[in-house]
Amino acid sequence: MDIRAIDLSATAGRSRLHGAAAGAKLASFALALTAIVVQHNVLVVAAVGLGIAALAVASRLPSRMVFGLAAYPGIFAAVFAFAAAPDPLTGSLFVAKAVGAALCAVVLVCTTPYPQVFAPVQRIVPEVVGDAMLMTYRSLFILAEKLDRLRVAVRLRSGLGRRHPLLAARATAAALGGLVLYALDLSQREYDIMRLRGYEGRLRITIPPSREPAFDAALVLGAAAVLAVAVWFRLAGAGLTPYSWLPATLGLLALFAAVSWRVTRR
Amino acid sequence: MSHIHIPDGVLPPWLWGLGLVVALTAVWIAATVAKRADVSRKVPLLGIVSALVLVSMSSEIVPIAYHINLTVVAGVLLGPWLGIIAAFIVEVVLALLGHGGVTVIGLNTLMVGSEMVIGWALFRLGVRVLGRRRVRVVTVVVTIVTLAITTTALVGIVALAGGGGAATRETGALDPASLRFQNPFGGGVFSLNALRGEAPALSGHAATELSVKRFAAVVYTLGPIGWVIEALIQAAVLGYVARVRPTLVFGGALSRRPSPLPVHAEVD
Repeated sequence: MDIRAIDLSATAGRSRLHGAAAGAKLASFALALTAIVVQHNVLVVAAVGLGIAALAVASRLPSRMVFGLAAYPGIFAAVFAFAAAPDPLTGSLFVAKAVGAALCAVVLVCTTPYPQVFAPVQRIVPEVVGDAMLMTYRSLFILAEKLDRLRVAVRLRSGLGRRHPLLAARATAAALGGLVLYALDLSQREYDIMRLRGYEGRLRITIPPSREPAFDAALVLGAAAVLAVAVWFRLAGAGLTPYSWLPATLGLLALFAAVSWRVTRR
Repeated sequence: MSHIHIPDGVLPPWLWGLGLVVALTAVWIAATVAKRADVSRKVPLLGIVSALVLVSMSSEIVPIAYHINLTVVAGVLLGPWLGIIAAFIVEVVLALLGHGGVTVIGLNTLMVGSEMVIGWALFRLGVRVLGRRRVRVVTVVVTIVTLAITTTALVGIVALAGGGGAATRETGALDPASLRFQNPFGGGVFSLNALRGEAPALSGHAATELSVKRFAAVVYTLGPIGWVIEALIQAAVLGYVARVRPTLVFGGALSRRPSPLPVHAEVD
């Protein structure tokens, strides 16, 4: 996961979804996720996933990154499906749920700067947890960059060569150990800097006001409609299943329309 | 085994709901205990070590769907209380990055948190028995034992979930027996017989169970490969840190170190 690319997308994106209020996006995320959780029909779950994919394409999110990140849990879900699913169809449902839910989360973090995503969580958890959460995300950038440099350094010292596996293992372990020491030193430095800046045990987050309240409302209503359809299909049980290809087709059409729109308005 | 790679909506709500309640209670207790000490000092440390675990988790061993976790290292460096908080933070960030599932944050926190706590306890016991010079051996044994325990806990979770509606699914318009799609227009698309509660004969609602035995066989076959890789890496890392800066491993990262700031510059 390239955390820097995610953050760049969240902060530099100019789509309407990027400009929507964080609260509206979080509510929509929760509604869409609930739709995936309550639904056991693979075609309806696929429809929700396709709808979110259409939203990602229309918002001009970097496709390779977004769909790559969403597919990642699909690998683990496939292993779980292989190990535990009673039949291939249930297995495909597991994978569809994993990828659909991941797509929801990835679209959220790729369109919303992380302090705004964490702000609601920070309000309900103890202050040490909320603040550490913000520090974790910030530290991820530093450590990821440091790890990249360490990898280059190890490679330059033939640490990752196949001819000398023992040397490679030692160099890699030293690099990881160095990263741990660097991280701990960094935490001490950060603590000193935070104290100098007046940190008193609570990082404050200011959430900017919404740019388009109408779009926010439409987003939440759309997600609520998706959940309503999912619940309807669930309550109707087997009665609606012959028609479950309809939402999937709608999702496919939405994705097709989003791709066409993105290609024509380049 | 570290965290559960089970998608949202597969485990029954009572199970993930209970996991969430227990995990949040554990995090709240851990935060209360941590607050008794200098809490602001721990925030950057928690953040950095959580980030370290996340960075390590980003490198996956694809053929066996396993990734490095560094949970024992994090447990040794943070101790049990901060370890639980770090586990929660790691799982929240992972869920937001689409890796791990949102509903299973609670269960995942318990899994990763227990790995850190068990790892920390066994490491301290091992060092006391074998001595400080055998950090690598102790770490290898501790990591393998810890991962074996949490893998068994994972199998237990799947077993708890397996009997109920965990794998219940409607098959859509697909007949699971013949794997053929039913024509939904057969009864007239506008008749919507579903609204009258008449279930079509072909489409199915299958209530099937997760195969716990097969799941256990797979994780106990693939898992040990990951455990050994993980144990070797964690042993190398902890061995290196113990050699270069032993106080971090044996005294804990929270042991007092001189601050570069003059005392009067600190803000209280």
